[in-house]
Amino acid sequence: MRRAPLRLAVGVGQLVVVAVVVFFLTTSLPGDTAEIVLGQDATPEQVAALRAQLGTDRPAGERFADWASGVLAGDLGRSLQTGQPVVTELSTRLGSTALLAALTLLLLLPLAVLAGTAAGRRAGSSLDRGLTGFLSSVQAAPEFALGLLLVALFALQLGWVPATGGGGGLVTPAVLVLPVVVLVANQLGRLARQVRAGVLTVDRAPHVVHLRRLGLPEPVVLARHVLPGAVLPTIQQLARVVDGLLGGVVVVESLFALPGIGSGFVEAVRARDLPLVGGYALLFAATTILVNLAAGLLSARLTPYRAVLT
Amino acid sequence: MRRSGSLLGSVLIGVPLLLAALGPLLSRLLGTTAPTGTSPLLPPGGDFVLGTDVLGRDVLGLALGGGTSVVGLTVGALALAYVVGVPLGLALAGTVRAWADRAVLAVLDIVLVVPSLLLLLVLAAAGRRGTWWLLAVAALISLPPIVRLVRAAASVPDRRAALETMTMLGEPWWRVRLLEAGRLVAGPVAVDAGSRLVLLVALVTSANFLGLGLAPDAVDWAVMIEQNTTALFLAPVTLLLPAALLVSLCAGANLLVDQALAHRGAS
Repeated sequence: MRRAPLRLAVGVGQLVVVAVVVFFLTTSLPGDTAEIVLGQDATPEQVAALRAQLGTDRPAGERFADWASGVLAGDLGRSLQTGQPVVTELSTRLGSTALLAALTLLLLLPLAVLAGTAAGRRAGSSLDRGLTGFLSSVQAAPEFALGLLLVALFALQLGWVPATGGGGGLVTPAVLVLPVVVLVANQLGRLARQVRAGVLTVDRAPHVVHLRRLGLPEPVVLARHVLPGAVLPTIQQLARVVDGLLGGVVVVESLFALPGIGSGFVEAVRARDLPLVGGYALLFAATTILVNLAAGLLSARLTPYRAVLT
Repeated sequence: MRRSGSLLGSVLIGVPLLLAALGPLLSRLLGTTAPTGTSPLLPPGGDFVLGTDVLGRDVLGLALGGGTSVVGLTVGALALAYVVGVPLGLALAGTVRAWADRAVLAVLDIVLVVPSLLLLLVLAAAGRRGTWWLLAVAALISLPPIVRLVRAAASVPDRRAALETMTMLGEPWWRVRLLEAGRLVAGPVAVDAGSRLVLLVALVTSANFLGLGLAPDAVDWAVMIEQNTTALFLAPVTLLLPAALLVSLCAGANLLVDQALAHRGAS
């Protein structure tokens, strides 16, 4: 915990580096915004006029200073397409992605503990091999391909749920079913495997064996003594899960035509809306860095022996 | 059970891999390239066994030819990552300059926190996309874990005595630090390559699905899906066939890697 300020400083440093990289990738390398926005048919005068209007004819260092001071003041600039402030665009889309992520985590965590415990307590059994093999194979498949197969089965064949959100917003909760299933399927294998490994170790630990020998009821042994020791080490893994969810959200929202920051990012890229792309990139990077930081601190808090050793 | 897992994995990975290897040849033999001007979304049957897609291309031809780039890009990115990552990791393990070691790891840690698709999306927004960018970014993203793995494997304490003896016997630096240490690293790298391959297939195809990699008219399973998303109700086969092939490829590869890891752990 004493290292928290240091870690926070490292996180801020990482974010600054990401911001610089994003700025220079999007605006300063050859091939500029004006040419991309106007397309190939534009005359040189049009390009020059747009450049002057956007201010991209000024030196890169000066523009970066402008942009960076804006970012520090909470102003990410305006979208090239709509003219709306980037912050407004981001915040209107954040809600539906947050809902999707929250639903996914709500299903993912109990399922991972259940599957991991079931597999870990009977390690080597056919249940363990079947479950672990199935979950990790499902997880290996790209989200969009898995999503399409699920759409074919549950939307086209059985007609249980609508195939896509149709881009019109979250009209009915049913449009969220398949996206949540795909996101859960994509992360469950990884998390369940961690829980399984934890349960496998703790289940055979001397203190647990002793408690069983004392005649403590099995549910109590499991809930009070095996699971806490088995599940807590997986918190570090949760950071990877959230990172995977962010990437998955980009793909899943595009596939199911859901509004959100994932599909918003892809649309901004298609429209070559560079200020908006920069805003999304900062948002994604900041989320990842924060989650990693939180997971690092939390797991340092929960495994005190590391504080003793270092 | 273990044998049946390997068998299932081999069958699952076998079909897409065979298509990736022989598909383009087969496609030429069967003449499955629709002439330009063919109507889009023709139903299956007639001249085209599986019909045509939204661009008027033969779906069978696309399915036959579209696996080569998936496998090629993945293997290419993986090879690139190891060609850069293994020497870098060995150099870090061998260097006496602790600050250089720490500096390189700090830089790589920045790459580690960047979500995989973020870099490709930003590059595509700035008009930089295509095979080479995709290869470079996929390799770059794989670099930090590879360098850390190699660095750790090359500095295992119980082999230090052998390395020190070689140094004292006057063996050149590169033979001790690169060749001998490289032998230590080969095992862990081989294990890592399997699981990394599975991750990279998903990354590369997802990038192509989002339109961030190959050109829109490329013959590739993921690009084929991206192009035909509007045909979900009219011609589902244009989406489901490549999707099934991709899922089969990834699931099969994953099963085989898991079996290999379990085998290694048991022995």
